[in-house]
Amino acid sequence: MVKSKFILIAAMIVIAGIWAAVFFFPSEEKKVKKQFSLLSEWISKDPNESTLTMARKVKNIGTLFAERCELREPVYPLSGSYTREEITSIALRGRAHFFDLSLKFYDLNISFPEEGVARVTLTAKLTGKSTSGEQMDETRELECLLRKIDNQWLFSQLEVVEVLKK
Amino acid sequence: MLLKRVVALEGERVEFRDGKLLVNGKAIDEPYVRYPCNWNLSPRQVEEGHVYVIGDNRSTPIENHYFGQASVKRVVGGPLW
Repeated sequence: MVKSKFILIAAMIVIAGIWAAVFFFPSEEKKVKKQFSLLSEWISKDPNESTLTMARKVKNIGTLFAERCELREPVYPLSGSYTREEITSIALRGRAHFFDLSLKFYDLNISFPEEGVARVTLTAKLTGKSTSGEQMDETRELECLLRKIDNQWLFSQLEVVEVLKK
Repeated sequence: MLLKRVVALEGERVEFRDGKLLVNGKAIDEPYVRYPCNWNLSPRQVEEGHVYVIGDNRSTPIENHYFGQASVKRVVGGPLW
């Protein structure tokens, strides 16, 4: 009886240990996914968003990007290399055009071509309503590069893949 | 992942005239398009190994609608009926 009690306690400790390891030491893939989840949360905008929330979200967006990030966009004139501050400014201006905005990421395919580099291909869906009442519903394929800097995965390149050519 | 309708195959010429889709100069009957549009698009040939895809919802201005030719290698699904 005593022996089985010890076995039970030992099993519980092992399970708790595994859970703690998974929770406190997530895999690199989970850490990369988390960055996309945060980007989605901070870009998205609720119609009733307060000024304080807006300021916090916009400030946070910059923390997801490397000191310099390259944007490659074949359609809109946005291609170029931007500093973290410039990205924050673009995000602020972009969000201001919308009454509500939702950015969601699907089908994330993550690979690690070299140490400290993550390549992610995914589908991004941007929906919302502009302040002038125009509906937006854009779906694009993206290819992103994130670099591990100071133990954080930061966006260093975002490319909109031209899947369809008119 | 995008869900679009294939309207033309490689080598075919696609254009829009006053909202009407023409393939190789012939107007295509499209009963699946619910809302009419006024799109105009000059004729263009579908490249080798590509298909031309367009969504059925054409109520948005042409510049806001995402359509065009895509490599057949990118097609992952097929029609169910």
